[in-house]
Amino acid sequence: MKLKLTWLLTLFMAFVMQFSFAQEKTVTGTVTTAMDGLPLPGANVIVKGTSKGQQTDFDGKFTIQVNQGDVLVVSYVGMAASEVKIGAANTYDVALKESSGLDEVIVVGYSNVSKATSKAATVRVSAKTIENRPNASFVQTLSGQVAGLNITTSSGQPGGNSLVNLRGVSSINGNTEPLFIIDGAPVDEDNFRSLNPQDIESIDVLKDAGATAIYGNRGANGVIVIKTRQGSFDQGLKIAYNGFVSFSTLQDNDYNRMDSQQLLTYERDRGLGAGGGVSNTLFASGAGRPALTDAEIEAAPNFDWLDFFFRTAVTQSHTMSMSSGSENASQFTSFGFQDTQGVLEDSDLKRFNIRSNINGKSNNDRFKYGVNLTVNYSKSNEPNEIGGTGVNRNYVLGAFQSVPYITPGDYTNGEDLVNFGTPFAHTPLFLLDRLETYTRFEEEVKAVGSLNLSYSLTDWLTARAVMSGDYQSEFLTRAEGPTSFNAFLFGGAENPTSGFQTQQSTRQFSYNQVTSLNASKVYGKHTVDLGLFTEYFKAHFRGFGYAQDGLDPATFHPGDGSAFIAPAGGLFADLANANRLDAGLFSYFGALDYDYDERYGFGATVRRDASYRFAESNRWGTFWSVSGRWNISNESFMDGSVINNLKLRGSYGTAGNQDIVGLGYFGGPDLTLDLFTTTGGYGNQNSIALAQLGNRSLKWETVTSLNVGVDFGVWQNRLRGAIDVYERVTSDLFQSTPLSAVTGLTSQDANVGELVNRGFDFQVNYGVVQNIDGFNLNVGLVGNYNTTELRDLPNENGEIIGLGQNGGILNEYYTLRYVGVNPANGNLLYLTAEGDVTENPDADTDRVWIDKNLTPDWNGGFTLDMDYKGFYLTTQWNYVIGVDRFDNDYAGLVDPTAAGQFNASTDLLRAWSQPGDITDIPSYNAANLNSFPGSDRFLRSADFLRLRFASFGYNFPTKFLEGTGFSNASIFVNGENLVTFTEWRGFDPETRTNVSRQYPTPRTFSVGFELGF
Amino acid sequence: MKKFNKLLIVGVILTLMGCNDAIDIRQVGRLDAANAFKSVDDLQNGLLAVYDEVDLTPEIALSANFTDEIAIGFDSGGQGFALYDFVMNAASAAPFDFWTRNFRVNNRATILIEAAQNITPSDAAEQAMYDDILAQAHFIRAYANFEMLVYFSPDARDDSTLAVPVIDFIPGLDIQPRRNTTGEVWDYINSDIDIATSRIETQSDPLFVSLDAINALKARMAMTRGDYPLAETLSSQLLNSYGLANRTQYANMFLDNDNTEVIFKLERTVNDSYDGQTNSGSVNTGGGWAGSVFAFVNATLAGSPYFEMDRSVFDALDPNDIRYDVMVAPSSIISPDYPNDPSPITNDVLVIQKYQGSEGKPLMNDLKVFRSSEMLLILAEAKAAQNDLDGAEQLIKQLRDARFGTAQALPSYGTQQEAFGAILDERKIELAFEGHRFKDLKRLGVAGNRGVDRDPIACGIQSGACTLPASDFRFTLPIPIVEINANPGIAAQQNPGYTN
Repeated sequence: MKLKLTWLLTLFMAFVMQFSFAQEKTVTGTVTTAMDGLPLPGANVIVKGTSKGQQTDFDGKFTIQVNQGDVLVVSYVGMAASEVKIGAANTYDVALKESSGLDEVIVVGYSNVSKATSKAATVRVSAKTIENRPNASFVQTLSGQVAGLNITTSSGQPGGNSLVNLRGVSSINGNTEPLFIIDGAPVDEDNFRSLNPQDIESIDVLKDAGATAIYGNRGANGVIVIKTRQGSFDQGLKIAYNGFVSFSTLQDNDYNRMDSQQLLTYERDRGLGAGGGVSNTLFASGAGRPALTDAEIEAAPNFDWLDFFFRTAVTQSHTMSMSSGSENASQFTSFGFQDTQGVLEDSDLKRFNIRSNINGKSNNDRFKYGVNLTVNYSKSNEPNEIGGTGVNRNYVLGAFQSVPYITPGDYTNGEDLVNFGTPFAHTPLFLLDRLETYTRFEEEVKAVGSLNLSYSLTDWLTARAVMSGDYQSEFLTRAEGPTSFNAFLFGGAENPTSGFQTQQSTRQFSYNQVTSLNASKVYGKHTVDLGLFTEYFKAHFRGFGYAQDGLDPATFHPGDGSAFIAPAGGLFADLANANRLDAGLFSYFGALDYDYDERYGFGATVRRDASYRFAESNRWGTFWSVSGRWNISNESFMDGSVINNLKLRGSYGTAGNQDIVGLGYFGGPDLTLDLFTTTGGYGNQNSIALAQLGNRSLKWETVTSLNVGVDFGVWQNRLRGAIDVYERVTSDLFQSTPLSAVTGLTSQDANVGELVNRGFDFQVNYGVVQNIDGFNLNVGLVGNYNTTELRDLPNENGEIIGLGQNGGILNEYYTLRYVGVNPANGNLLYLTAEGDVTENPDADTDRVWIDKNLTPDWNGGFTLDMDYKGFYLTTQWNYVIGVDRFDNDYAGLVDPTAAGQFNASTDLLRAWSQPGDITDIPSYNAANLNSFPGSDRFLRSADFLRLRFASFGYNFPTKFLEGTGFSNASIFVNGENLVTFTEWRGFDPETRTNVSRQYPTPRTFSVGFELGF
Repeated sequence: MKKFNKLLIVGVILTLMGCNDAIDIRQVGRLDAANAFKSVDDLQNGLLAVYDEVDLTPEIALSANFTDEIAIGFDSGGQGFALYDFVMNAASAAPFDFWTRNFRVNNRATILIEAAQNITPSDAAEQAMYDDILAQAHFIRAYANFEMLVYFSPDARDDSTLAVPVIDFIPGLDIQPRRNTTGEVWDYINSDIDIATSRIETQSDPLFVSLDAINALKARMAMTRGDYPLAETLSSQLLNSYGLANRTQYANMFLDNDNTEVIFKLERTVNDSYDGQTNSGSVNTGGGWAGSVFAFVNATLAGSPYFEMDRSVFDALDPNDIRYDVMVAPSSIISPDYPNDPSPITNDVLVIQKYQGSEGKPLMNDLKVFRSSEMLLILAEAKAAQNDLDGAEQLIKQLRDARFGTAQALPSYGTQQEAFGAILDERKIELAFEGHRFKDLKRLGVAGNRGVDRDPIACGIQSGACTLPASDFRFTLPIPIVEINANPGIAAQQNPGYTN
C-alpha cells in the first residue's frame, strides 16, 4: 500500500509543477475585516477557475502569481467571499464583510432553500467536524453535535451500528431511526461501516414536520440528508490527501477486581475454589488437599485477563481526493483506505472506498445532471455472542470475570482442556482456545449510486428526476475448527470430527426514484414555489447459506470446504437455506412555498403514500404539514438593532412510520395474512404447521409533530443559535397486545396506544474572542430535554410490564425495591408494594414502577474552539443525564455464589459477617440471596459528562509552503473519549443496554496530517 | 434539448405505470390458510406438526428443580436458584409454560380437527388413515388438557374445584374465557379420549399414539381422579402385554435402543426442532434436549452439570440396581463419607445420566411418555388404595426383581399410608427425572406422608430450603400473569395461596 501511495503522490506533484510554472506576474495584498479593519490571517486567496491559491499569513498578507485579467476569490469562514479582478496594479487590499449567515443554503425536503427562508427546524453539520475522526462510521461522530439528536454507540466493534434517535423514541417496536439520504439515495440506516466519512461535505438534520412530512411514511423519525463533496465548474485540479494513525485502548473501570492474592484469600475464607483447597482447576488441583497457605497464596501467579482479551488497537486511514471542473463538467474523485483494529482481540475492519461524483450541464444551463457513485469493499472480523453468558463464547466475559490465578501458560490445546473437565474457573482458557480456533468475518460490497437530472422547461418551470440505488452484499463466514475446545466438548467421543462451518450470503438492492415538476415564480415581493412529485421505491432481498457440521482437521481451513465430512446418519447433514423477499412503496405528493419580501413565509405539503406492508389492510396513508415563519429582523423596526437575525418559525404536521416492526425494508412483509408453513415436524419429518395469524387492521404508525422555534443572531452573529420546543405524538403504536393464551398465542402486535415525546432543543454559539492579535475563541452549547409519556396502553390496568404505564415513561422499570442489608442477620431487605421493609417480598406483587428507564432526559454537548496564528484547539464535551442502567457486570463481581469460579470485587470483602454489621453487601449465606433476582439492587445512574473529542493542530502558513508544491498543509493530534466524569463504575457509561459483558467503546488517540496541492 | 424532454416524459409515464409492482407484492413461499389442508395426506403432515408441539421437558424441569430430585451442582452458573427456593408465583416460568404451551397444543390440535371436517376420504384406505389422524389429534388434545388439569386444578378429585377454560373450538382473538370446573374439564378430556378410542387404527406403536397409549393415558387419568378400580383394570392389561424389561433392555431403553417397556415415547432426533440446548435452568425450556435440563454439554463430570442428583435419590439407589447404572454417570465423584465430608460440593458430584444422548448427540433422548413400569406402579397404587396391601407388596417386589436381576426381599406394608409412602419412594427412583415427582407428591404425598425432602447438606449450603410439605399450595400452579394481562377477569379465579 505504502509503495503505491508514494508513487501516486509523485505523479500528482508532477501535475502541480506544470501549473506552477506558468507564472506571469506577482501581486501582493492584505486581507482585512471590514468591521474593524484588522488583518485576517488564514483567509483563502484563490485564482478563480484554477487550483492556484494560498492562505494569508499572520498579518493578513498574501503574495500570488497571476495573469492580468484573472479573478482572485478571497474567502474566509463566516465571511462573505469577495472577488477582485486583476488589472495593472500589483497590490490589492481586500476587506471582507462578515457573512450574515443568511445566505447559507440548506436542504429541506426535496429542494434547497436559503437559511433565511427556511421554515423548518434543521441543523447543518459541516465536514469540518466530521473529518479526521477515527470512528469507522460517521454516525458515531455526530454524537453531541446536533440538538435533539441522540446517538448511542453501545459496541466498540469498528464500524458497529449506532442507535440514532431524534427527539426521543417515537416507537416501541417500529423503526426509531431517521431516514438517511445520501446524495438523493435513501440508504440502509444500520450500515455505514463501508462508507468513507471523509467524503462527506455536509449533513443536514431535519427535525420538524415542516421538513419531514414530505418524506411521508419514512420521515417520522426525522431525516438526515448527507451530501458528499463535489467538484466545481471552472476549477483547476485540486488534490488533497489526509491520513491519520490512531491508537485505541479500553476505557477505565472502577470495579476493584481482586488480584490473585486477594481472591485466593477470599476463597480460602469461603472454603471454596483453589484458595479453599477444593480446586477443580489446573491451579492447585487435587482432591482432599488442605486450603492454601499464606506462602502458597503469595506465590500464586497473577494475570489480568483484561490485558489478554483487550489490546491497544491501531488504526490507519488514508484518503486522497481529486477534483476539477471545466466549463460544463466537474468531478470529484476520492479513494480511501482504512484499517481499523478493535480493542477487543479478533475485531477489526478493513475497507476500501472509491467515489466518483460528476456534474455536468448544457451550454445554456437548462439541462443539468449529476452522478454520485461510490463503491466500497470492507472485511471485518466481528466476534459474536458478545453480551452472552457463554463461558466458552463471550470474550468480554473472560476479560471481565476470569480468575487471575489461571494464566495463558495453563493452556495446551482444546482436547486437553475438555479432558481435564470444565470448571467455570477455566473460562479464560476456553476463550483463549476460541480466539485461536474460531473464525467469524463479514465481507461486504456496498455501492450507492444516484443520478439526478433536471431540465428547465421555461425560466420558471423545471422538471427533475433523481434515480438512486443502494446495493449491499454481505458474506458472513463462521467456522469453529475441529480441534477446538468447543468441537471436542460438544462432539464428544461419538463425534470426534466435530466443529462447524457456515457461510451466509445476503444481497440487498433498493431502488428509489423521485420524479418532479417544480415551478417558481416571483411577482414583485411575492415568491411562490410549487412542486409536484412521485416517488417509487422497490427493494429486493436474496439470501443463501449453508451450515456444515463435521470437519476433518487434516484439511480444515476457514472458508474452504475440503474438510467437510460426508453425511453419516444425519449427524453431518448439511443444512442449506435460501430466502427471498421483496418490498416496495409508492407515493405522490406536492409542496407549496410562499414568501413575501423575505419577511413572511408559509409552506404546506401533502403526501399520499402506499406501502406493500399494508396491501391487504390500509394501503394508502396521507401525511401533511403546514409551516410558517416571520423574519422579524427583516422588519424595518429592527433596523439598527444589535439583533441582526431574528426569525420565528412554526410547523405542524404528520409523518408516518411504515417500518412498524423495526426490521428494515423487509421486516413484517405480510402480517395481515393467516399463514401456514411447511417445515420439519415430529421426528424431523416434513409437516404443515401454523405460522402466523394475521392482523387484518394493520396500518402505519403516525407521528404528529408540533414545533415552534426561534433562530437568532446578535452582534453580527457573534452570538447565534436556535431554540425549539416540540411535541411529537405517535398514534396507532404498533405494539404487542396481550391475548388470552387459549388462542394459541399470548400476544399479537396491533396498532394501539399513543406515545408522546415532548421537549426542547437549543443550539447556541458565541464568539468570545474574535481576532484579537489573531486569537479566536468560540464556545457552543447544544442540548435537548425530552420526556416520554405512554397513553392508552392495551391493557385493563393501563400498564404493561416491560413497557410502562399510562402517563408514565417509556420502558419504565417495574421491579422490587431493594433497601439494603439487615444488620441482624445479613439477609437482603426489600420494600413491599406498600413500602414496608421485608425479607420476603412477593416476587410478583411487591414490584412497583420506579419512574426510571434507560432513555436519557437530557443529552447534548458543548464545544470550546480556539485558534491562534495557525494553531487550533477544538474540544467537544458530551453529556447525558437521566439514564438508569442495571450494572450487571458489578452484580457478577459481588456474587458470593461465584466464589471459586470467577473473579470478584474487593467490595465483597465487606460482606455482613456478624450481627450488628452495617454494610451494603449481604451475608455470603443470606437465606434469601438467590430468591429474588429481580430488584433494583444493581440499578445505577449512567449519567456522564465526557470529553468526547479534542483536536489540536497546526495549519502551516502559506509562506512556509512556497516552493513545496503544496497549497496547504496541516498536522493534528486527536483524542476521543479522553475523560469521563460519571458515577458509573463500568467501562463505558454510554453502552445503552442492561445486558452485561458488552464490548465497550474505546479511548482513542490519533495523529495525522492533511496536504493540499 | 428535445431529447431530454422526451426522456423525462417517458420516465414519468414509466413511473406511474410501474407503481403497482411496488405495492402489490406477494412474498414467495407462503402457504395460505385456505390452501393448507386439501387432502388426507396434508392432514397427516399437519398431524406431524401437532405432535411436534408436545414436549415433556418442562415437566421434567419443574419436577427436578422444585422437588427433591436434584441439588445445585458444583458447575452451577446460577440456574434454577429461585425455583429451588420454592419461589412460585404468577410471574414464574412454570405457570407461564404449562398454561401457554398446553393451550397452544390444544389450539393446534383443534385447528387440525376442524380442518379435517372439510376433507372427505375417497376410499377405505384413506378413511382408515383419516380416522387414525383424528384419533391421534384428539388424544394429543386430551393429553394437553389433562396436563393442565393436573397442574392448575387444586384437586383433581373434586369436580367442583376450578381447573382451566374448556376451549374445544378455534377462538376469536378477543376471547376472555373463565375457568371451567374440574368436572367440566374431565368431561372434555373424556370426550376426546372416547373419540380417540373409537377411531384409532393401531394397537401398538412406540413412536405414535396407539390404542395402548390411549389406555395408558386412561389408566393414569383414572389414578389421578381416584377411580382406582378402572386404573387397576387398565394398568394390569397393559402390564400383561408389555411386561417389564430385563436389566439389559432397561439400560438400552434409555439409550433409545430398546422399546420392550415403552408404550409410547416422543421421538427426538438429529436436526429436529428439539435438537439443541433448552433454556437452561428454566421450566420454560423452549424445547431442547432432555439432558440439557441438567447439564450444558453432556452427561459426564466434564459436561458442566449445573444440576446434580440429590443425595436423597442417590442414597435410595443400590449399586446392584440397574437404575443406579442408568442414572449415575460413571464419571461422578462419590464421597466415601458424605455426611462428614469437609467439602461436599467438590468431593461429591453426582452426575445425572438418564439422558446421556443418542444418535451421536449428547443429552438428546426420546421422551418416555408411558412405560410399563409406570403401569405396574399405578396398579400397585390402585391395589393399596383398595386396601390390597399384599398385592402392592408383590408388585413392588416384581419391579425390584427385574431391576436387580435377582430375587429381592418382599416388602411389608403395615398400613395403607405406609404402602402409599413406599410406592412414592419407588416411583421416585423408577421414574426419577421423568417429570413425575411433582404430581406424585401432589396426588399422594399427604396420603403417603411424603413431601419434598432434600438432602440437608446440599440444600443447606445453597439456601436452607430443604423441605416442603405436599399440602403446600405451590403444588398447584397459579394462573400465569401473561393470561391475567390479557384476560383480567380471570384474576378473581386465582388459585388459593397466590395473590395478584
